[in-house]
Parts: sequence; C-alpha cells; structure tokens
Amino acid sequence: MANEDIRILVVDDELGMREGCRKILTAEGYQVSTAADGAEGFEIFQRERNFAVALVDLKMPRIGGIELIHRIRELDDTIIMFVITAHAAIDTAVEATRRGAYGYIPKPFTPDELLLPLRNGLERRALAIEAQRLRREREGRLFELAFERSKSSTIISCMTDGVLVINRDKQIVLRNAALTRIMPSFAVLPLSSPIEEIQCREIIDLFEDAFSDGTTPVIASKEVALAGKTYLANASPVLEPDGKVMGAVLVLRDISELKKLETAKSMFISMVAHEVKSPLAAIESQLTMVLNGFLDNDPEKKTGAIERALLRATGLRTLVSDLLNLTAMETGHFEIKRVPLAIRSVIDEVIAANRERAEDGSVEITMSCAEDMDGVQVLADKDSMFMVFSNLLNNAIKYSPPPGHVEVVVEHDRTHVHVTVKDSGIGIAKEDQENIFDEFFRVKSAHTQRITGTGLGLTIVKRLVDMHDGAITVESALGEGSAFTVSLPITR
Amino acid sequence: MAPEPPEIAIVDDDMDFLELYRHVLESRGYRVRCFGTPAAALEGMAQSRPDLVISDLMMERLDAGFSFARQVKSDERFRGVPVIIATAAGSQRGFDFRPRGAADLAAMNADAFFAKPVDPEALLAKIRELVSARAASSDGTGRKEGA
Repeated sequence: MANEDIRILVVDDELGMREGCRKILTAEGYQVSTAADGAEGFEIFQRERNFAVALVDLKMPRIGGIELIHRIRELDDTIIMFVITAHAAIDTAVEATRRGAYGYIPKPFTPDELLLPLRNGLERRALAIEAQRLRREREGRLFELAFERSKSSTIISCMTDGVLVINRDKQIVLRNAALTRIMPSFAVLPLSSPIEEIQCREIIDLFEDAFSDGTTPVIASKEVALAGKTYLANASPVLEPDGKVMGAVLVLRDISELKKLETAKSMFISMVAHEVKSPLAAIESQLTMVLNGFLDNDPEKKTGAIERALLRATGLRTLVSDLLNLTAMETGHFEIKRVPLAIRSVIDEVIAANRERAEDGSVEITMSCAEDMDGVQVLADKDSMFMVFSNLLNNAIKYSPPPGHVEVVVEHDRTHVHVTVKDSGIGIAKEDQENIFDEFFRVKSAHTQRITGTGLGLTIVKRLVDMHDGAITVESALGEGSAFTVSLPITR
Repeated sequence: MAPEPPEIAIVDDDMDFLELYRHVLESRGYRVRCFGTPAAALEGMAQSRPDLVISDLMMERLDAGFSFARQVKSDERFRGVPVIIATAAGSQRGFDFRPRGAADLAAMNADAFFAKPVDPEALLAKIRELVSARAASSDGTGRKEGA
C-alpha cells in the first residue's frame, strides 16, 4: 500500500507535538489528521474510521489516552496504535498494551524514532489484514460448501424421481425419499448394504450395465414394473475426475401416466382403423357381389348394393373430414374467429339447410324464439356455430322415426343464451348419456342399426362448445326423445 | 321328407354386412337369420338353434365377438355349433387378432377366422366344410348344402 493511502490520526493536547508529527509524517507521504484531546480524537475516528495508525498521548483532558485506545480497539481490530508520552512508566505502558496499543514511543523523538516503529507496525498490520482476509475467505468457502451440500441434498430429497447411488463396492450410499416410496423395502435397508439386498433383478442388472467392463461407461436404461406402476430406470456411472468409475447412480421415473396415454393413443388409432376399414370392407364386398354375379337374378338388390356402397363411401368421406377437424382441434390448429353474433341468424340458416332433408324423412321442424332475443349476441365463430347446430339438428332428424317432430328453442337468461334442440326420437338410455360425447361412441340397438354416422359428431360439437366457453347438456329417456341444450355466454 | 336346409345365424353391427351375408348365403340355399347385437343373437338362437354362427368382432365393445363366441361355446344348448369370426380389424397397432393356428382359433372359441372383406367363395367353402363335418359327426345323415 502506498503511503498516500495510509491515514494516520495524531491525538495530543500539545499543539507543537501535533504539528511536529504532522510535518514528519506528511513528508513521508502519509495522510494525517490531528485531534487536541481524547474526545475529539474519538470523534474523528468514529467519523472517518479508515485510519491505519493512531499516535495517542496519554495525558489529555476529557478522555485520556488509555481510555481512547480502549474505545478505538473495540471498534477496529487492525488499527496500529502507539502511545506517545514523556512520562514513561512501565506499568502505564503495560496497561496501554493490554488495552490494545501496539507500541510505545517516548517523547521527545527524532523522525526516525517515530518512523521506524511506525513502519514495523504498518507491516504487522498488513500481515494481520491478509491473515484476516484468508480466514474470512476460508470461512466463507466452508459456509458455501455447507450450503451447497445441504442444497443438493435438499434438492435430491425433494425430487419426485427416485434416486439411488451405489459406490464402487456396490453398496448403497444414497437414496432419496421418493425411492423409498417406490420401493418400500428400502426403508429398512441400512446404508452400505450390498446392492443384492434390494432383490430386484432388473435394477441390479442395470447397475451392472452402468459399470460395464470396458473403458467407455454406458448409460443403461430400461422400463421396470414395480407395484403396478411403470418406471423408466436410468443408471449411469459416477466418474472420478480421472475417469475412473467410483460408483453409479440410478434414477427411477414414474411413467405410468405416459404409458396410459400411449395405450389410449393406440386404442384411438385402432378405433380409427376399424371405423375406416369397416366401410371399406363393406364397399369392397358390395362391389364384389355385384361383379361376381351373386345378385344377377335380382336387379333391385343389385342396385341396392351399389347404392349402399355409394352411401358408405360418402360416410367415409364425412368420417375423414370429421377426423381431420377433430385432430386440428386437438393440436390447436382449428382456427376460430370469434365475433359478436346473433345466434338466431345461425339457427335460421341451419334450419333452412336441413328442412328439405327433414321433410323427406317426414320430420317437421319448428322453431320458437324468445321475443327479447333481438340484440342478444354471443362471441362466436360463425362456421363453428353452424357446425354445432347442424350436427345437433341432423342427429335430431336422423334419430326421429317418421312422422317426427324437432323443436328448436332459443332463449336467454341474464348471462347465457340457451339453444335447445328437442326431438321426438328414440331417446338415449341413462347409462349411454355419459358416453355420447366420446369419440366413436354410438348407441347400438335395433333402432340405430340403419342410421349411419361417424361417431364423431357429438365429440366435435362438445369440443366446439368448450372452445366457446359454453356448455352442452342432454336430457333424454328411451322412447321419449332427446333434448340437447347448448349454453353460450352473452357478450355485451 | 327332404331335410331342411342348414340355418346360419349372423351377428354384425354393420347392416350392410348382414345384408351381404344374407345375399351370398341365401343365393346358395341356406336359411339365414340376422342379428345386430350379440345379446339379440343369443336370444334368437335360443328359440331356434342354428347350424352355424358367423360373428363380427368389434361391435359395442372391442372384443364383443370373442365374448359372444365364448358364450356360444359354453352354452349347452349350442353344443357343437361351429363359430366363424369375421372382422375388418385383422391386425392393428397393439392388437393382432389373426390366429396363427388351431390353438389360436381354439383360444378365441372359433372354428374359422375371416378378414373382411370376406371372399364369398372361400366363406361358402368353409361353411360347407364345417356344417357337413358336424352333420357327419352328429346324426350321420350328411345334410347337403342348401336346396
């Protein structure tokens, strides 16, 4: 440290002494502050603090030298303090040293008599400060280490994945709470038990794989079934910095839910395949029959088979577009543009589009609309609404044996518009009602055999209503018709 | 008195297939009874015992055909009635219904397995084989196919 950075406090009630010291010390480049008594000296020390050295006279008014040294030492453990006094007495010097003084310089003194002990003191101070710095650093590092250690062990114990670590001798050295939950037999195994005691061949084998025999450590991974759940087990070697294997760590992750999803997905694919293959098989069979001449003696049946084949082909096309729509909805690619919409106008359009087909099947459609519906709007995508209500109306017509009647009621309360499509059809049994919105669910009965459908219509309706923050409910009883009500929030 | 032509019960939830089977089988003189669900088939078969049953596989449930076949085979009233399973769901991701041999057929309680679309001639040949084998083993009169 350059002398210019070293600040020295001189406390003496003799002006000549103060100024003499100042002269000697400033000549050496030191920064000097002076005080005329102990009280002033303490005040300056408290205000400025960063003094390296204090020269303190013993006999001063107000606060004496011994007391000042004591007070300063309590606040600063590195400052070097010298007693400067003409009344040198051993016992006083001893007392001063006991209170925290570093040395004693008798008055009067030559510049060298002051500077030499001062430099010694400064060196001593530098060493003390360095030692203190090292000590703090070490303490800090230990603290950090302890903190890191508790942090990682906290993290490991909080992990939802099971963690098991073994050492080179294949003894258990660490396991977390999740692992003992997954394999309760672990809770009773003491640490450093040999790995064989876990009695799970698959996991022991995984560890063996992770150790391997060669130089390249491998990560072994396998699905393990434990207590009705499926886990993905990954074992990897723990390496020393030089690459030597010092143990292995196994992580067990519960993938049961993923497996369920996977099963549901392949179920869905199987169902799609079935729904596609059935009509194709029917069409092929119908055409084969015609071509092979099975129906040659009955022209009516022959035409009928071709008509049915055509109908199935059309149904297949509807199925494919329904599937595409549904997939788009599921992957978030089904775009809807929600704008304020008078639902009444959509219903009118849907009815107009279906009226002819209904009349062909001797089904009458009526519509009733609350008088105050004018100006009541919902925030909705027009195409989606058209899809929702034509699906519902279509079903109502399809499932109403002639002469049938379908009634559409549009009304609202304070918060929602309610559109009910009510038919005089065959109705839905209570136990089927909860399934009708499921993909490919179709009620199978003697009444529904002749009615074609993809089994996706109501699934799509429900998805669309959900996308519009609405709800759909059904009220029905076998033989008494069904009423589907769509409720959509009113926009202001 | 000429023996009555054999009666075949068919269960399938696809109306078109019921109709197709009916056309094919009736054109060769068989008597045919069609059912839309396994339950309806069991009920109908109890009133008039068929000489052979053809069942679809995936109806109201994925394996409805299998449980139907099991019910037929374990019912004393239908002892010896051959069962043919025909499905469009031959093999799919995760499921493979196609029997590899006699043991697989026995496990699914079936005497024969056809993938849809069914080749009419192959089906007729199999029916002929199963019905005549049964006739030979039961009453020895060797009923002839159709009329």
